[in-house]
Amino acid sequence: MKDVPAWLVDEGSTTEMRRMLSPDSPVDIETLAARARAITLRRFGRTMSLYAPLYLSNHCPSGCAYCGFASDRTTLRRRLEEDEIRREITAMKKLGIRDILLLTGERTVAAGFDYLRRAVEIAAEEMPRVSVETFPMSVEEYRELASCGCTGVTIYQETYDRKRYEELHRWGPKKDFLHRLDTPERALEAGIKTVGIGALLGLSEPVEEALHLYRHARHLAKTWWRAGISISFPRMRPEQGGWQPPFTVSDQQLARMILAFRIGLPDMDLALSTRERASFRDGMAGLAVTRMSIASKTTVGGYDEGETGERGQFDISDERSAPEFCQALRDRGIEPVFKNWDGAYNGPATQILPTGGLKETVLCP
Amino acid sequence: MNISKNETAVMDVLNVMDALHIGPHTFNSRLILGTGKFSSTDVMLRAVRASKAELVTVALRRFNREQLEDDLFGPLSQLEGITLMPNTSGASTAAEAVKAAHISRELSGSPFIKVEIHPNPQHLMPDPIETFEAAKILASEGFLVMPYISADPVLAKRLEEVGCASVMPLGAAIGSGRGLSTAGMLEIIIRESTIPVIVDAGLRAPSEAARAMEMGCSAVLVNSAIAAADNPEEMATAFRDGTSAGRRAYMAGLMAESGEAVPTSPLTSFLGESR
Repeated sequence: MKDVPAWLVDEGSTTEMRRMLSPDSPVDIETLAARARAITLRRFGRTMSLYAPLYLSNHCPSGCAYCGFASDRTTLRRRLEEDEIRREITAMKKLGIRDILLLTGERTVAAGFDYLRRAVEIAAEEMPRVSVETFPMSVEEYRELASCGCTGVTIYQETYDRKRYEELHRWGPKKDFLHRLDTPERALEAGIKTVGIGALLGLSEPVEEALHLYRHARHLAKTWWRAGISISFPRMRPEQGGWQPPFTVSDQQLARMILAFRIGLPDMDLALSTRERASFRDGMAGLAVTRMSIASKTTVGGYDEGETGERGQFDISDERSAPEFCQALRDRGIEPVFKNWDGAYNGPATQILPTGGLKETVLCP
Repeated sequence: MNISKNETAVMDVLNVMDALHIGPHTFNSRLILGTGKFSSTDVMLRAVRASKAELVTVALRRFNREQLEDDLFGPLSQLEGITLMPNTSGASTAAEAVKAAHISRELSGSPFIKVEIHPNPQHLMPDPIETFEAAKILASEGFLVMPYISADPVLAKRLEEVGCASVMPLGAAIGSGRGLSTAGMLEIIIRESTIPVIVDAGLRAPSEAARAMEMGCSAVLVNSAIAAADNPEEMATAFRDGTSAGRRAYMAGLMAESGEAVPTSPLTSFLGESR
């Protein structure tokens, strides 16, 4: 079995992070919050970038133990057709959304590369910023997506604990730990501008998980110096009557983690989704978080026709509407920003080489 | 203290005589404002008004004509006496910046373009090579090009040679609040430049704006320090005063700094008496 790369286990530069992350840390959380808030304010000001997810399909051949869309779950399978995608995007635009994240399960015949590429093209006609959170792809495939207007690739490692990873991903293409770990770098090599990384908190020991995530971010920033990097902190919640995560990450622990990341990585985007409760999101907004999802649906579609009663991939905790959420931010002196990008910066993929070279590649069909 | 009408008139004339010229444009204010990072558009507009700035910059990525609540360009263009300078923040290559400049000119009608090319979205330091390439193209197309650069005296001259309207070297990294960390390089740029030198980025306090102006900068651009203040409107006023105090001091001629110590035994006694 191939070893994990050295940067993932290197202890050299994480002493201070470990000190801040540890639940019995000598640094109290108020001190961390004050430091993080000052950094966020200087670097990002009093604004919050907003985005929303659109689930295109819940077809999936993988057997991830924790996922509502795993292939052994009885969920009704469907995918959005082109006209439905257009309607969903129109509905999302009406909410103000200008930054969209397209999601699918692992690669299937129903929702494979060609399907996704078409969805990106449709989305990019209306949205200045289009990212995907789907199955790992090849460099060539990412290059093609970039040329169609895809600017970001989000891919969570789920857990950096390899043994646990292999247990939890019971079958399917997602079983390959190292292939998934390399995915952000394949995307960057192909000219994708921003990668999103994260760990599904609760799958393994939280401090170790956070340290691995931190090393991953540092590695990407050093190797791919042109890359935009966004870090997410998705926390698993016990599912009623369903799968129970082996670790519980408390609000205190999660907050400590996000604050420590702001201090350790002062100019990276930190994201927090509607998985989290309104009060937690509002509290973290002024302290460290710079990107938030809004008015999210985790069912396939859901913006156009409204609630269908279907089960989503996971349950949402912050169910406020877009105007309600924006008002809550404004009440805290934070300006919600929907459009924080421009289509002028998309277009023909510019290949980013790790050593600094830039190669223009024109691929668009 | 009573200031006679005559004296006020003299001061006005002095102010006009000391105007900032960029290309064919004349500005009485030497404080330029950035418009991002504010807690609301309303707070931003009040800060702009309080600052008495006449030139403000706005990022193309914050133009949102379809959704006015989210748009920075529309409300700014309503302000009287303000010239808008779109910027290319978000561009990571010369090609992207040129494209963004074209779109910005079409949307805003402004002849100004602040070229900002930062390939690393984390630290946002400007790329000198791509900036030079974009500036060359845009200046030849008739834009008033205002490039955001590191405090590099050679790059500043190269940009002047290709027809830029000003150079905008950084005092410190964007949003760092580290003030005039590059003072030594800025002094060289100011000494050598025949176009306005505008210190952009890094300023934290009005005293630093004053210091930049005392050094002979033509203007300063401030954003984070005002947007992140507890009271942005008051801070904008303070920066207005700091900038103008520094400029007055520069024009008035600062007294020389105390010189080096004079050695007790003469160093040139070997030269003898004859001249």
